[in-house]
Order: sequence, then C-alpha cells, then structure tokens
Amino acid sequence: MRKRTLTTIVMVILALFFIFPFYWLVIGTTKNVSQLFQKSLLPGVPSHFLENIRGVFTYENGVYLKWLANSGLYAVVGAFAAIFFASMAGFAFRRYNFYGKKILFILILGFAMVPIYATTLPLFMLFRDLGLINSRLAVMLPSFVNVFGVYMMVSYWNQVSEEVFNAAQIDGANDLRIFFQIGLPNIIPGFITQFLLSFVSIWNNFFLPLVVLNSRAKMPLILGITTITDPQGFPVYNLTITSSFFAILPLLVLFIAMQKYFKPQIYTIH
Amino acid sequence: MGYDTMNKKTNVKMDQVMIKKKKRNKKAVATIKAYLFLAPFLLLFATMVIYPIALGVKLSLYGQRGARMWYIGFQNFATILQDPKFWESLRIPLFLLLVQVPLMIFIATLIAFSYERLEKHGGSIFRFIYYLPYTIPGIVTGIIWSYIFSDGMSPFRPVLDLLGYSGTKILTRPHLPAILLVIILWAFTGYTAFVIYSALISIPKEFSEQAQLDGATFWQVAFKIKVPLLKGVFIPLFIFNAIGAIQVFNEPWMLKELVVLPSNYTPAMYIYNAAFAQGRFTYASAMGMILAVLTFLISFGVLRSAAKQMLTE
Repeated sequence: MRKRTLTTIVMVILALFFIFPFYWLVIGTTKNVSQLFQKSLLPGVPSHFLENIRGVFTYENGVYLKWLANSGLYAVVGAFAAIFFASMAGFAFRRYNFYGKKILFILILGFAMVPIYATTLPLFMLFRDLGLINSRLAVMLPSFVNVFGVYMMVSYWNQVSEEVFNAAQIDGANDLRIFFQIGLPNIIPGFITQFLLSFVSIWNNFFLPLVVLNSRAKMPLILGITTITDPQGFPVYNLTITSSFFAILPLLVLFIAMQKYFKPQIYTIH
Repeated sequence: MGYDTMNKKTNVKMDQVMIKKKKRNKKAVATIKAYLFLAPFLLLFATMVIYPIALGVKLSLYGQRGARMWYIGFQNFATILQDPKFWESLRIPLFLLLVQVPLMIFIATLIAFSYERLEKHGGSIFRFIYYLPYTIPGIVTGIIWSYIFSDGMSPFRPVLDLLGYSGTKILTRPHLPAILLVIILWAFTGYTAFVIYSALISIPKEFSEQAQLDGATFWQVAFKIKVPLLKGVFIPLFIFNAIGAIQVFNEPWMLKELVVLPSNYTPAMYIYNAAFAQGRFTYASAMGMILAVLTFLISFGVLRSAAKQMLTE
C-alpha cells in the first residue's frame, strides 16, 4: 500500500530525530575535547572511551560514585516511602467512611499542582531554622510526599471489590492485616508503576538539591554532573558528556526492563 | 391505643435511636482507623506542602533588607506587577504556550494516528523510540542539546559553513526560543503521542467502521470522527503543558552555561535568582505565590473533575 509507505517514511525520519541526541551522546563518550571540536558524526578515532570513564570515576577522588550512591539512596528511599504512605492514605479513602473525608480529599487534590518553585524557597527557610540545610534529610523529606500518588492510589484501591475486604473481615482479620495481606497484593502492579514514576522523578529532581545542598559529597548525580569543571573552573566537555551518559543509563535500563509498568499518567476529563 | 402498641412504638423508637447511635459509633471508630492510616502522609503533607505555602504567603507580605523583615501588606505584589523584569520573564512561557504546546499536541496527534495505522507494521517500535526522550532528565536534555547547538561542537556547524553561513553563530539569545522549541518538542512529543494513542485505542470500533464502509479514508475517519472523541484527553494535555510552560527552568538553566542569559529569562529562573543571587527572599516568595495561584487557576477545571470522579465512585 502506497499510503502506508509514506507514513512509514515520515515516521522513520522522526525516529532519527528522536534518536539523534542519544547517538551524539554515545559517540561523544569516545572523544576527547579536541575530537569533540572536530564536530564529526563518527566515533572518535582513536577511541578515548576508557580514558573518559577513568576520568569520570577518578574525578575529585571518585566523587562521581558518591553522587551515584546518593541518587540511588534518595530515589529508592524517597519513592518507597512516598508510595507506601500514599497507598496507606488511598486505603483509608477506599475502606472507611470517616468524618472530613470529602473535605480532606478536596484539600489534598487542591494542593496536587503546587509548583516546587513556590514551595522550595519557604522549605529552604524551614530547613535553615531546623539546621537541616546541606543535609541529606533536606533532600529526602519533601520527596516523601507524592500527592498525585495518593490520587492514583485511591483509583487503584477503588478497583478492588468490596467483597474482598468483607470476606476478610468476616474471617476476623484486623484492619492492618486486611491492608497488608489482603489489600496490598491486589494493587501491586499500580504500586510498582507509582514507585517507578516516583523513582524517576526523584532521580531527575534538580531544583530542590540545588537549593538545599552546597557540599558536593551529598549531591545527587543530576546536580553533581553540572558542577564538573577543571581546577580553574572551566568546563570539561568530554567528562560532562561521559558523566551524562552514565547518569541516564540506569534510567534507560530501568525503562526498558520495566516497560509494561511505565504507563502514561494523566487526569482525564469525563 | 392499648398499652401493648404504645410499648411497641417506644420500642421501635428506642431501636431507631440505638441504630443511629451504633451507626455514629461505627463512624467514630472508622474515623480513628482512617486517620491512623492517613497519619504518615498527612503529617508530611502538612509540614512539606501546607506549611511552606503558608510560610510563603506570610513572607510575601513582608518587606526585607538583609535579615531585617517587616510587614508591608500587599506592597510586594504591587511592585511585582510594575516590575518590567517580571513581565519580561513571562515571554518564554507565553511563546511556549502559543507555539510549542499547540504544535506539539498537533504533531503528537498525527503520530498517535500513525501508530494506529502502522499497528501491525512496526508501530510499537516507533512508540518505544519516540517515548525514550521522556525518560531523560531535563538537565541532561539541556546539556546534550546545548552542546549539539554550541558553535564549538555542533555537527550542524560544518553544514552551515558549507552553505555559506560561516559567520552566523547558532547558539545566540535571539535563536534561543527556537532552540528551546526543538528541545521541548524532542523531550515531550513522544510521551504526548503515547497518551493520545492510549485514548485512541479505547474508542470503540463501531464509531469508525460505518464511515470506513462509506468509503472514507483513514485520515478522514481520524480527523472527522476520532479527534472530536479525544476531547477528554486534549484538554488535560493542554492544561498540563501550560503549567509546564510557566514553570520551565532546567533547560534554560543548562543553556545559560553556553550563552549569556538574563536572570529573569523565565519566571522560575527569576524566582531563584531573586532569592539566591540577590537575597530578596520576600520578593521571590511573592512571585512564587503568583506562580502557585496561576498554576492553581489553570488546573482548577481538571482538579475539580478529578475530585468529582473519585468522590462519586
């Protein structure tokens, strides 16, 4: 069919556009600065790949590994706490008919879209008063709150049928057991989706660490790689490129391995 | 009325009172249980979201010089509305809102239909490739693209030289809106197309089958029949992208490493620089509150519909 061929050709050209920066980044990791300035679209010859890797991991006594560990810590602990608390909150909205339910839900949702550029400055002052500036806690505490996660959790819990809960209750299970043993297994796919989305958004968060951290040893990768310079303070392009590559590699691996859990999240209007 | 019936009546009444009491007790117990489950979230929500907003509102009502602060009412807001630098900071969001958002949703719609058209001919491979940029952090996106457009490293440089444009620099202030447009389209079009496609495949087949039988082409069916059915996904997409447009920060933040940018290039950059480069905390807080109110107003419709949907289920 001729028409489908046209669509395919356009889609292939677009695919090249979407892939191009990845390709450029990957070949960039094989070049030193003078090769980068040759502006070629081919890998560097001779390849400086191993040299760049060594450069990244020995930069400032191996601070890159600290950044990597920090990012892992912030993202794993933050995402788990946020989504676990969100699933508890979602369970409360699903299971109980309690005083203040509607108002509380509206209040929570009303604050779902608050921009971090409005809250981070007051948070900075709060953490300063508490002596938490430049501490890992200052990066982690705000990440424990995921309002959108609560909303999604309520929708996951709403899909669990009432009979599941009632049957458990007749069997004499208490509320904690109903939550952990009967409830949670029913929403595991949603839990994983929310965990991954939360993980990625914390891994990618730049603004909060930028504001609350000043010691490089506590920075996450995304912030750390923007501080790479030579001792005179000039940019070192090959190291920034190689470190960028290794900063997104975990995300790409995670995305490819867990593809079925990355579902687009958007409120829809009915 | 005999004694028995009267007794019965009072008994019934007593029963009703008891049932009501029991119901109330039951609700009281449920309330305690519910708030125990809600406690960790609510505690963090109160301290990490509500309190900062309240503090931000308070700060925005104060004047400041160094560490000294004093109450000045709404004067900060009056100053902001007359601050040309504040209005200038809205240029980029406005440009994105008027150009990037409609353009991206239009392209993403075409792509979503192409996914459908190529469903058994590689559609899923395209979906995967187009979605990839969305997983990349804005900072890394900013680094890669600013290097790709930099005059030192750009692979487009030799092409431009060949075409006789060797004097024209690529990465300059006047070119930045176009460069931001390319970067943001690269990062979010695939995701947007995926969202639209997800809505598209849930449209029942009956809607298009009749038209196809009547001889309409694929694209006629797409635009005349399916696009109107996608309203429920276009509206939130517009709203969320509008919010993204007024909050853009990371990409220009990285571009300013290679091209000189004013401190008020976007509202978020102006807030950051006013607070941390100039130390004007209360003024920056007031701008933050304006940003928060704008965001709330833009998202109000979606949030209300989301709340309704949940509370009626």
